Amino acid sequence: MPPGLDNLKHIVVLMMENRSFDHMLGSLPGIGGIDDAGAFSNADTNDNPVKPQALAEFQGQLNPDPDHHFPAVDLQIFGGATNQGRQANLQGFVKSYFNQRQDVGQSQRIMYYFQQKDLPVLTTLASQFAVFNRWFASIPGPTICNRAFAHYGTSFGRVDMNPFDVIEPIKSIYTRMVTANPARTAKLYYYDTASSSMEVPNLLQNQPQVFGQYREFLSACDNNSLPQYSFVEPNYTDHDSDSGEEVANDQHPDHDVQAGELLIAEVYSHIKSNPQTWATTALLVVYDEHGGIFDHVIPPPCVKDRFQSSQLDPSTGQGFFFDRLGVRVPALLVSPWIPKGKVVDRVFDHASIPATITKFFQLNYADAGPREKAADVFIEPNNGSGNMANNLLSLDVMRTNCPDFTLPS
Amino acid sequence: MDPITVPKPKSVRNPNRLASSLLLAQIHHLREAEKNLPVRYHSGIFHKSLITEGDVARYVRSVTEAIHKAHNDAAKDRAKATAKRKAPRRGRVDIAVQADRTAQRKRQPGKKKKARKKAGRKG
Repeated sequence: MPPGLDNLKHIVVLMMENRSFDHMLGSLPGIGGIDDAGAFSNADTNDNPVKPQALAEFQGQLNPDPDHHFPAVDLQIFGGATNQGRQANLQGFVKSYFNQRQDVGQSQRIMYYFQQKDLPVLTTLASQFAVFNRWFASIPGPTICNRAFAHYGTSFGRVDMNPFDVIEPIKSIYTRMVTANPARTAKLYYYDTASSSMEVPNLLQNQPQVFGQYREFLSACDNNSLPQYSFVEPNYTDHDSDSGEEVANDQHPDHDVQAGELLIAEVYSHIKSNPQTWATTALLVVYDEHGGIFDHVIPPPCVKDRFQSSQLDPSTGQGFFFDRLGVRVPALLVSPWIPKGKVVDRVFDHASIPATITKFFQLNYADAGPREKAADVFIEPNNGSGNMANNLLSLDVMRTNCPDFTLPS
Repeated sequence: MDPITVPKPKSVRNPNRLASSLLLAQIHHLREAEKNLPVRYHSGIFHKSLITEGDVARYVRSVTEAIHKAHNDAAKDRAKATAKRKAPRRGRVDIAVQADRTAQRKRQPGKKKKARKKAGRKG
């Protein structure tokens, strides 16, 4: 079997907030970004074409926070068409942002993207390891329901930010891990108690024992004592803590994108700092949804979930069936067993996370919903059932030329 | 390759920034969770007054820590209750053992008598 998979003992997922693929990685050539988009534009409300421009700023530019709730994302994807048989055209980003401030100049900023040199951490990792250029948000909607897909493989019929109930027999990936026979280890790390988790109604409220804090995650990396599965949440607020003044590093607009770069670099550097951790860990960095920001790849259809939302699909007038994906988001996989510059163009969404963890750790779990069952895996199972043509940890010998980051003091 | 220097963020920390819709949703979720906690764990913070990120963080911390504390306390209470439940059982067993011993002692003289009688008969 491939030594990368034989050695793999820990999978870490770091889920950031609200940035689209083109906005963050669109400047990288040859990966399906802006350069490859051709002549793409959105019309503003004066009917002038607005092209993507490399003018994104770290903070202060996307204020107010671009709307990314279900109706707004529908407008962004379908350009305002609501008829049956409508085609996604991604022509509604500028219109949607204009609706918030009625300011033509401000609305054009939704098309801005970062230059490669602006984001040395994310772009380096994307070009040095594996970048997924067709990883989409699970739902054309906001954070909470999209994050639910990462934990459960479904949002139980929600396309909004309200609390949801876990509907049996579906179980969270953490419950699947810790109740498996033999038991596996899993932790959900929030930054600190003042930032906490975005999965309160079920996990934090009922299973606080599966949670840890970010500093414990870093220690576990340093000491080679990571659980088999770790999910890391960023810091969602500027706040005071016992250890000092904290700055939000989730990259949610209008939080500083550079603070998020630092977080990603810190996670990577701590995993890499211990040779045993480094050799046995794969890190997935992924964004929960696009945050209302422009991307040029049309989200594909997908299999229906077993649930139907109470929010109506504008084209059918019926509840949304979860039969199409949200906007494309940045996603990359890091491991010293991945060859440099791998571009993965298969379709993924956040249901791929519990699907991958369940299959790789061989959990005896047959209750996954249709979306999770259909989701592709980003790490092949190592029990003979995996498709080794898709194995990303494919090197026979571990790389020794992986990048290092120097973090600011 | 040479190490890549990560720039120090130039962001101005601003806990007075207005809370986003995401943070307002988080408050809503924690508020629901707080309602399920015993009253002694409630934060006493009026959630409608939470406007800035700093406000939200104070509330989030208070409820998150309360959830952990409530579960930890409940686990301790369960352990105590289990210990108490076990204690009477041991007591009952002890009483039962004692009762058996008493019965044995009571029976033994009878046996001796019988034995004596048997012995007497033999003799």
